[in-house]
Amino acid sequence: MSLRVDDLTVYYQSLRGDVKAVDGATFQIADGEIMGLAGESGCGKSTLGKSLIRFDARMRHVSGSVELDGKKLPIWDDSKMNAFRFKEVSIIPQYALSALNPTRRIGTMAMELLRSRNIEPDTVLPEFKRRLKLVGLDQDVLDRFPIELSGGMKQRVVMVLSSLLDPSLLIADEVTSALDVSTQRAVSELLVEFRDRGFVKSMIVITHDLSVLYQIADTILIMYAGKLAEKAPAETVVNSPRHPYTKLLLSSLPEVGVRYADKRLSGIPGRPPPLIDPPTGCRFKTRCPLAFARCDEEPPFASLEPGHTAACWKAEKAEAA
Amino acid sequence: MAVSKPGAGVVTTAGAPAPAEATGPISPQGAPAAAPITARRSEFLYFAFRNWKFVVGLAVVLFLFALAIFGPMLTPHEPLEFGGPTDQAPSSDYWFGTTSFGQDVFSQFVHGLRATFLVGLVGGGIAWLIGATVGFTAGYRSGWLDDVLNMITNVVLVIPTLAILIIVAAYVNVHSYATEAILVGLTSWPWAARAVRAQTFSLKTREFVDIARISGRKTRQIIASEIAPNMSSYLLMMFILLFGGAILIGASLDFLGLGPSESMSLGLMMNNAFLSSALLLGSWWWFIPPGVGIICIVGGLYVMNVGLDEIFNPKLREV
Repeated sequence: MSLRVDDLTVYYQSLRGDVKAVDGATFQIADGEIMGLAGESGCGKSTLGKSLIRFDARMRHVSGSVELDGKKLPIWDDSKMNAFRFKEVSIIPQYALSALNPTRRIGTMAMELLRSRNIEPDTVLPEFKRRLKLVGLDQDVLDRFPIELSGGMKQRVVMVLSSLLDPSLLIADEVTSALDVSTQRAVSELLVEFRDRGFVKSMIVITHDLSVLYQIADTILIMYAGKLAEKAPAETVVNSPRHPYTKLLLSSLPEVGVRYADKRLSGIPGRPPPLIDPPTGCRFKTRCPLAFARCDEEPPFASLEPGHTAACWKAEKAEAA
Repeated sequence: MAVSKPGAGVVTTAGAPAPAEATGPISPQGAPAAAPITARRSEFLYFAFRNWKFVVGLAVVLFLFALAIFGPMLTPHEPLEFGGPTDQAPSSDYWFGTTSFGQDVFSQFVHGLRATFLVGLVGGGIAWLIGATVGFTAGYRSGWLDDVLNMITNVVLVIPTLAILIIVAAYVNVHSYATEAILVGLTSWPWAARAVRAQTFSLKTREFVDIARISGRKTRQIIASEIAPNMSSYLLMMFILLFGGAILIGASLDFLGLGPSESMSLGLMMNNAFLSSALLLGSWWWFIPPGVGIICIVGGLYVMNVGLDEIFNPKLREV
C-alpha cells in the first residue's frame, strides 16, 4: 500500500469559525495507482491534495494520519515536512504556469531547488535533460526565462521538475485546467507515462474534469463539501456510480453523439453548502433527489464491494436489496 | 566637459549601479549562457540611452559628482581659509568670487557638493536599507510582526520629521556630515517601507514563492532570490528618490544652522550668505551657486527617475 490516509481532517481558521475543508477523509492508494480526485469547486479537493505535502501553512491539521510507504508523514509540521517534500511527496501546483519565477532562468531555478534539497545539481543534471527531452523540450530551455516559453512548455517544465527526484507520491493539482484541449491531452498522457516509467510511484490527479480522469486515472475519488462521497475504479465510477452526487455529476456532462435539442443538460440544482457551517448528517441531503429521513444521520464511507466505497444510505440499501 | 571625462571612471561607483543594479539580480550569476544576458543588458541600454530624461538627469548628476570629487584639486584655496579680498565678484583668481570674510566661494561650493553627496548617499542608503528590510519583513511575515513593524512605520511616518530632526540636531551636537546623514536616514524611510511591504504582499502569494517555501529555503533567501528581483526596478527608483530626499532634508538642516559648522555644505553656504545679508549687499555669487547646485542634483535625480520609469515600464516608452 503506497499511501494510507486515515480520518484526515483539515480546517482553515477564519474569524467566523473554522472552515471545514476536509473532514474525516479515509482512503488508500496502491503502488502505481493514478487516483483522480474530482468534485465541484470549493469541495476540498485542492485542500486534501495540498495538505498531504503541507503546501499552505495556513491550513490547520486537526486530526488523522497519513502514511506513505509505511512511514508516517508529519503533515502538521512545516519544517519536518521538508525532508519529505520533492523526494517522497511532490506537487504540481494549481497555477503551475506561475510557478516559475519570471526573473530567473529555468536552469538556475532548478539548480536552486536541488541545492535546497542538498543535492549536487551535477549529479541530476543529465537525468533532468533526459527527461526534458522525453517531454519534448530542447535542453536549451534551461537558459530561457519563463516568459519565453508557452503555457504547455511551462507546464511540462514544472512537471519534470516536480518529479525529478522520483517521489513516491505526486500530487497534480488542476494540471490541465489552463491549457487548450490538445495540450491537455498531451499533458495528461505524460502523467501516465511518468507513472509507467517509474518516475513516480503513485499519483493524485486533482481536477473537475471527469472526462480527463476517465482517460488517465485508475480510480476516481469524488468529494463533496469536504467529505469523501465515492471511490471506485474509473470504469465503475463512470458506468455504474452508486452515490447520487456522482450520478448527477456525470449526468451534467455532455456526451459525444447525443443531441441536446429536446432535453437540456440539467446540471445539479443548488450549490455546495458553506463549509464554515455545513449541514449535519449527509452534506449532500439538501440537493439530493433521493434524500430521506435517515440522511440526518451521517452515512459512513462504507465498502460496497472490493475497491468500491461510497458514503450514502441509499447506496448501501441497493447493496442489501 | 573636460571635467566630466575623468569623472566617467569614478562614475562606476555611484552612477552606474543604476543600470548594473537593475539587471544584476535578474541575470543569475552562475548561468552559463552569456548571450541572452548581454542581449538583456543591451536592451536596457538601448532604451536607457534613447531616453533623454534619463540621459540628461544622469549627465547633470554625474557632472556635479565629478566636480565634487575633482573640484577641490582645481583651486588653491581652502573653503574656510580667510585672507582673500572680501566681497569680490567672480574673477579668474576666484572663479565664483569671494565671501565677505574673504573666503573662496568656488572652494566652498565644491567642498559643499562633497558633503551634499555624502548626506545623500549615506542618508538615502540608510533609509533604503531600513525601508527595504522593514517592508520585506512586514510584507512577507504577516501576523504580529507585521502589525508591530507597520505600527512603527506609521508612527515614524506621521511625526513631523523636520521638527524632530531640529530638536535632535540641537541636542546632539552634530560634528560631521556622516552623523547628519545617519540622522536623516533614520527618519526618512517610512514611505519606502510601506511601498515595499505592499509590493511584497502581492508577490508572496505567487506560486513560485510557495514552491521556494516548500523546498525548505530560508525566508531571507526567498526574499532575496524570489521576491526582490521581481521588484528590482522599483527598489532602484526608491533609492534615487530617497537619495534626493536626504539631500533636501540635509540642506534644510544646514540652512537652519543645525548641521556641522566646522566643514562646508551647500546648505551652510546659504546659511552664511543669509546671515551676512549677501542678498542685500548684492553678492549674488555667494548664494546662487549652492542654490543652483542643490536644484541641479535633486532635479537631475528626479528627472532621471522619471526616465527610468519609462525605461522599465514598456507602457510608458515613447517609441
